Formats: sequence, structure tokens, C-alpha cells
Amino acid sequence: MAGIVAERYTGASIKRSEDPRILTGSGRYVDDIKLPGMLHAAFVRSPLAHARVLAVDVSAARALPGVVAVLTGADLEAMTVPGQDPLFAMMGAGGPMPEYSLLATDTVRFVGDPVAIVVAESRYLAEDGCELVEVDYADLPPVASAAAALDADSPALFANLGDNIIGPHKRSEFGDVAGTFADADRVAEFHIDVHRHQNVPMEGRGCVASFDADSGLMTVYAATQSVHITKMGVAMRLGLEPGKVRVLAGDIGGSFGLKIGASREELAAAAASRALGRPVKWTEDRSENLAASGHAREESFDVRAAVSANGDLLGLDVKMLLDNGAYPVMGTMVPAIMEMMLPGPYKLEALGFESTAVATNKASYIAYRGPWASETFVRERVIDLLAKDLGLDPLEVRLRNVAPRTDPPAVMITGRPLVGLTTRESLERIAQLVDFPAFRSRQAEARARGRYLGIGLATFIEAAPGPRSPEPPSGPMGMESMRLRLEEDGIVALFTGQMPHGQSHQTTLAQIAADEFGVPFEQVRVVVGDSDVVPFGLTGGSRSATMTGGVALHGARQLKTKVLDFASHLIEASAQDLQITDGRVWVRGDPDSAIEVSEVARRAATGEFGADVDANLEVEAAFDGGEGGWSGGSHCAIVEVDVETGLVTVQRYVVAEDCGALINPAIVEGQIRGGVAQGIGAVLLERSAYDQDGNYQSATFMDYLVPTACDIPRIEIEHLQTVPLDADVNFRGVGEGGMIVAPPTIVNAIEDALSPFGVRIYEQHLPPARILELIAAQR
Amino acid sequence: MDITLRINGATYAGSPEARKTLADFLRDDLNLTGTHVGCEHGVCGACTVIVDGRPVRSCLMLAVQAAGSEVTTIEGLAPDGELGPLQQAMWDSHSFQCGFCTPGFVMQATAFLRDHPDADEQQIREALSGNICRCTGYQSIIEGVLLAAERARQS
Repeated sequence: MAGIVAERYTGASIKRSEDPRILTGSGRYVDDIKLPGMLHAAFVRSPLAHARVLAVDVSAARALPGVVAVLTGADLEAMTVPGQDPLFAMMGAGGPMPEYSLLATDTVRFVGDPVAIVVAESRYLAEDGCELVEVDYADLPPVASAAAALDADSPALFANLGDNIIGPHKRSEFGDVAGTFADADRVAEFHIDVHRHQNVPMEGRGCVASFDADSGLMTVYAATQSVHITKMGVAMRLGLEPGKVRVLAGDIGGSFGLKIGASREELAAAAASRALGRPVKWTEDRSENLAASGHAREESFDVRAAVSANGDLLGLDVKMLLDNGAYPVMGTMVPAIMEMMLPGPYKLEALGFESTAVATNKASYIAYRGPWASETFVRERVIDLLAKDLGLDPLEVRLRNVAPRTDPPAVMITGRPLVGLTTRESLERIAQLVDFPAFRSRQAEARARGRYLGIGLATFIEAAPGPRSPEPPSGPMGMESMRLRLEEDGIVALFTGQMPHGQSHQTTLAQIAADEFGVPFEQVRVVVGDSDVVPFGLTGGSRSATMTGGVALHGARQLKTKVLDFASHLIEASAQDLQITDGRVWVRGDPDSAIEVSEVARRAATGEFGADVDANLEVEAAFDGGEGGWSGGSHCAIVEVDVETGLVTVQRYVVAEDCGALINPAIVEGQIRGGVAQGIGAVLLERSAYDQDGNYQSATFMDYLVPTACDIPRIEIEHLQTVPLDADVNFRGVGEGGMIVAPPTIVNAIEDALSPFGVRIYEQHLPPARILELIAAQR
Repeated sequence: MDITLRINGATYAGSPEARKTLADFLRDDLNLTGTHVGCEHGVCGACTVIVDGRPVRSCLMLAVQAAGSEVTTIEGLAPDGELGPLQQAMWDSHSFQCGFCTPGFVMQATAFLRDHPDADEQQIREALSGNICRCTGYQSIIEGVLLAAERARQS
């Protein structure tokens, strides 16, 4: 392959080194793994939302030729250790700890709850075996909504809790809430709903677990956002020493927050492998993925907003009710993040925030791209509603309320400084790009012809990484580690705990390290996906641009210093006079002195300089996030609503985004567009629907609709790179913003289109049928 | 049931169960794991292969139905390791992220461009609207197909 020629790789849209393998079908995803003697697992799942399990008869399934084992919840309870979901356990979420088993033993709590695992010689036979498992259920009344779960008489999902409150009521106040509301010109009240929808990576969950009885070593080939969190979960729940668990991961077909840790199914597959002494593969099918992998975002908000007559947003008081579904994974951790983020970039004087999370008979609430995103939806929706009530322009209301960029920075009423805030710049840039007055005249002409266009605007900030805190440890996102080594063939190897599943780390980290160390891009190798060799890490929370980009930069600098120190023994010069460019070490000003870095590495490996010279060309680097800073931006959509069919078409979508210095613009833009597409899907198409009895309604792609190439417009992106904060590391995260801000952008545009009908929108899911209902309600 | 078929120019014989899908036969029996299974009910298009010249969802076709057919999978597009023109254009366009849907898009677009070399953006979007990508928002994929078409016209 031809070499890539660039002055600097960082900042250029370098072609991805991941692509040759994925474009030729030679990527290696977990379902591609085949081990000698490997068995296949399938799960018997509850068809009921809530029921007692009276008996599980596995005799017919066990008798089926090709079925090797059928393990029930009781069987697995005897071979595993009780515990919580690994993410939930790691985050140390306090509050009620529901007791439940790896697979259901006495109670099933949602449609799809796993009851037994069938292990067979093929997946076909395993599914045949599932058909033969007879489960005797006794119906319990389903708790199918958050409102029902709040009722003290609702049947408790978990016996040890006694009720369905899984995240106890909590209220916080910042500033003088009562005084601010008492003094306001106006107090508006809204009830806003965000519907249940979900990640839907194109590859479902899955694993191959392989236990070796001789060594006692458990190897798990996983699709995970963190090999180490998966390792922790497997070790903990199987009662294994962590040193006896190795987790490997190859290519991963997307995740968006779904594949963190080790799911109940993956743990069951690992336990089965240990019991049987053979590798066991489990590959989630699409119906399992849609029904049982987990859902996100079912929350409702009672909002009071205190405003002045001229549009100053003075205070918000928000009560959130979160529908956690059955089991604790992420749901109970979300309210605290929403509370912190709810003021966004605005200079609120007061905020009240209270929340309750309840357990219901639905799939568990899991992380999905911007798990706290509903705070942005609520805030940006409320601003448009207020602007309408006051007869003001939504852009003007936003500009009026955005905190100024000052030194020292303004501080969010919830406590974090708004370091490097560029909300005003992104709003003003959007206004230039879109030309609102021109749109308004086009809108008026269209309305005269019976066509309904609308424009919507929304803005967000994302703590990626966020500001340093004034007290130590001051890093905005904890620490990120990396091991770097100059290999004997001259390759600079980066060992990172990041576990890419579409984010292109193999490319972006190599760009940064190549520039900093001084080798061609192709001479950097990014090593991921082996818990035995990579440091702890997690790909999530939009952390890798700053944290891993930063540790790659500083680590490459450290490694370079070490290599030059050693090279000074080969080239008769002091290390300070040496430099590395284009893969060669040379004395500054003397090109004839140059030797290849591979030569330096080879000489180091010989040990020829003895013990007094440090020839171990490897460093351990750590990075605390540097000066940090906020990522953010503003989005604008122009939509047309067909008021006869309810169909919404997104005609134009414009983004002005600031994620600091770009590592690879094409990759940044891919992250933004992908997030926006998910946000458009969330509003116009996607819903994880249950009926009133807790029956799941969206278990196929004919029922759960995701956007196609005809649903998503071209997305125009402008990059602002306005505020360098750190001497070296000004890359900021961009993974979640599109998904966070697209839903309010689209809903605001739809409401604007329907303003001639007097429609006000207090919800996020707006498929055609709902659009028609909203119009009809005003007629 | 014994079947013989040609895949990527080579002859294969096998004895899949009658109920085995073509996708599972390719992946499990022949180790052609480039074909991905994304939904198993014919909606997402990840498993698209070309059978006797037509793009087909290999999760909806039984292996025995492909007996005697000429099948092309993603592995057949770059047999010597050199990317084909569409693959190259998609690489140049940063078309994909996680890569799971990629083989299906590449096969679908290969069949479409062969029959519609002058397709415009809207036609390409419609032709690919039976393939789901969850990562990209599609724009980069469409740009890759447009670039391949443009290069083909110029050569």
C-alpha cells in the first residue's frame, strides 16, 4: 500500500487503517470465532411480563440428540456467585440493591427474561431444545408503567425491596429556588415525556467462552466496550481469580452503550463452558436484541420555569420520574448526571431537581449514547415553548440567556465552571449559515400554498472531558493509561484499554503518536482487546479524544525521550541534539548521521551496552485530561410536515460544533452524522413499545423502525475550534453530541411547522400517526 | 442434502440440512465469515450476497435453494487482496465505522452500479434503503458509491 504523505497526520482526514479489512470481509467479529469442540447456546425466555416460575421441565430438551446440556436458573445459581451488573457494581451506585439471580429462578420480570440456557452442537439444535423446555408460570399482575410502579399497592418486582422504588426520591436545590420563582414575572409549567427507544447496533451481543480445566483459565472472546470490565464481571460472578480470566475482543459491530461489562446471558454462557469443559458460543439474534438486551430513555418530567417578561430564564424546577425497567444497570445512575447537566450553557439563577426511579416489568434501562440526553431535550424544548408564550424569537432567547465567556469562567448553578464555552459562537454561526429571515419568507410562501415548513434550533454542551475541578484529583475524567513500546522492527506499539467499536482509534491514535514520535503513520500499531496486555480502560462517555488522544501524545513524547537517550549511545551526540523525523534518528543539522529507529530498537534488544544503559524502550504513560474543557455545539433543522399524512421530511440539517482541535475531520464528521441520524430516528421512527400488560411490541425490524438512507438528509457541518485551553491536548469528545441534541432540534422544527394549528409538543416520539393526532386535537 | 455450487469462482460441495440458511452455510460450513447476519428476517441487508447476478438476502434463502448457483460474496470482490474500485472509493470516502453492515452495502451497491452506472444520489439512496447502517447516517456511504460511479465513468 502506498505511503501516506502528510506534513502532520493530526488534523487531516487520514484514511482509516481499519477499512481494508472491513471492506473485504476479513474483519473478525465475535460470531466469526470458531473453536475446536465449540458448542452453541440459546436461551429460553419468558413470554410473560411478570410471573412466578412454578416449574421448569427440561427432560424433553435434554433428551434431544445434539443437546449437550440444559441449565436452569437454579442450576446456574449453584455454579455462580450472586451479584449485580458489572457496570452498576463498578459505578458504586448506592440505594436499594435488588436481589435477583443470573437466570430467573422463581420470578420472571419482563418479556424476554432468560429462564434457561440450552447448549447444543449447533445453534439450530439449541433452538430446537428451547422449544422443548416446558416452563410452568403463574401470572402476576404486570407493572407496566412508571405510574403503576409508584402505586404502593403495585406488586413488588423484588421481594427484598418491598416496593418498586429502585432509585429513591431525592431533591436538590441550587440557588434560591423559592425566591426566584416568587419574584419571576411568569412561571410556566409543562409535562414532558421522553419515550423508550434503544441502541440497536447492527451486531447484537455475543461471546465465546472457553474454559480450560487443566489450567483453570477462562478465556472469553467478547464484544465489549471494555475487556477489563467484562473480565471483572466474569471473575466476580463465576468466583474466579481475576488472574484466571482473560478477555479478548476483535472487531465489534457497534454498541452505543449496550455492550459494557458482561450481560447475564454472557455470564451464563461462561458458566456453561466451565461446567461442560467445552467452548460455548452465544450470539444474540435480532429479536432477543430488541426485546431483551436493554432499552433507554423512558422518563417523564414535570417542569416549572421562572421567566422574566423579556425572556430571561431565571430558574427551573424539574421533577423526573424514570422507568428503569426490570433490573439495575444504568437507570439509577442517570438522575445525578441530568441534575448536574440540566442548566447547560445558560446562566440560571436557581435550579430545583428531584427524581425517582422505579422498577417495571420491561427490559432494563441501559446506557445509550448520551445517557443523560433527556436534560437537553427538556431544556431546549422548554426554551422554545417559553419563547412562543412570550412572543419572542427562540434564537434571541437562547442568545439572551447563554452564559458569557469570561475569565474566570461563569459557573453552572450546579457547580461546574463553563471553561471555554462557545455556545454563543455556535448559535451565531448557525444563524449565518441558515439565514433565518430568508427561511421565514420561504415558510410564509409555502404556507400560502398549504405546505408546512418549520425551523428548529437547539444547543448542547457535553462534558467531554469537562472542566478540571479546583481540588485534586483535578482531572475532569479520572486518569487514562497507555503503554508504549518501540518494537524491534521499528514499530511504535500503543497498548490501550480503549475498545473501539466504530470510533476508529486504530487510525486516530496512530495519527497523534506518529506526529509526536516522528514516524510514518503506518509505523504505529494500536493494540486493543486483550485484558492480558492492555491497561484498564473503557470506550464510552466520549472520553477517548481527550483522554486517550492525550495519553498517546504525552506517551509518545516520553517514549521518544527514552529512545533518544538510548540512541545517544549509538550516535556520538547528546540526546538533546538528537531528533526523530520520518522514522529516523539524527543529529540536528547533520542528515548523514541518520539511522532508522528500527536499527535503534534492534541494538537495544542486543543488550550490548550492559546493565548501566536503559535499553528497555517502553514507557507507561498516564494522562489526567489536562486543562479539559467543554465540547458542544448548536444544530438547526428545516423540516416539512405533510399535514394530510403526518409524514415529516428533514429538508436541511446544519451543525456548528466545537470539539476543539480535530484529530481526523472525516472521523469527527462521521460521529456527528451518525449521532444525528439516531436522534432523527428517535423522533420520527423508533420506539421500544409495550402494551398495557407489558407485552413487547417491537421485536422485529418491521416493528422497530430505524432510519434508512432515504430518511436522513445530507448533514452540513461547520467546525469551530475557538478556544485552545491546554498547551498540547485540545481534542475534545464528539461521540454523543449528535444524539443528544438532534431530538430537540427536530421536535422544535416540527412544532414550528405546525404553529399555524396552534400545536404545542410535550413529547419526543412523533411518527405520522401522532402528528395527525396533534393537528386533529387543535381542529 | 448434497449440493454443489460455485462461490467466488470456485466449486464447493456440501451437505447442509434442508433448513440451513445460505448465510449460515457460508459462514459455518465454508468459513466465509465476511457475510454478516444482522437480523435474520430479511430487513437489514447485512447478509446480502449476489446469487446468479442478483442481490439476495442470504438469511432468507436456504442453502439448498442455491444448489447449482453462482454465488459472489464479499470475499470474492478482492480475491488478490487489492480492493475493487467500489471498495477503494468507499475507503477514500470514509464510508463506514464499525464495519458490520459493510459487506451487505458493498454487495448491494456492486449489483446496483453494474446495472445503473449513471445513477444519481437519490437513486442510490433508494437502492440502498434496504440496508441498515446504525453508525454513519449514510452520507459517507452514498458519497463512496457516487465516487465509484464517477471514477467508472471517467475511466
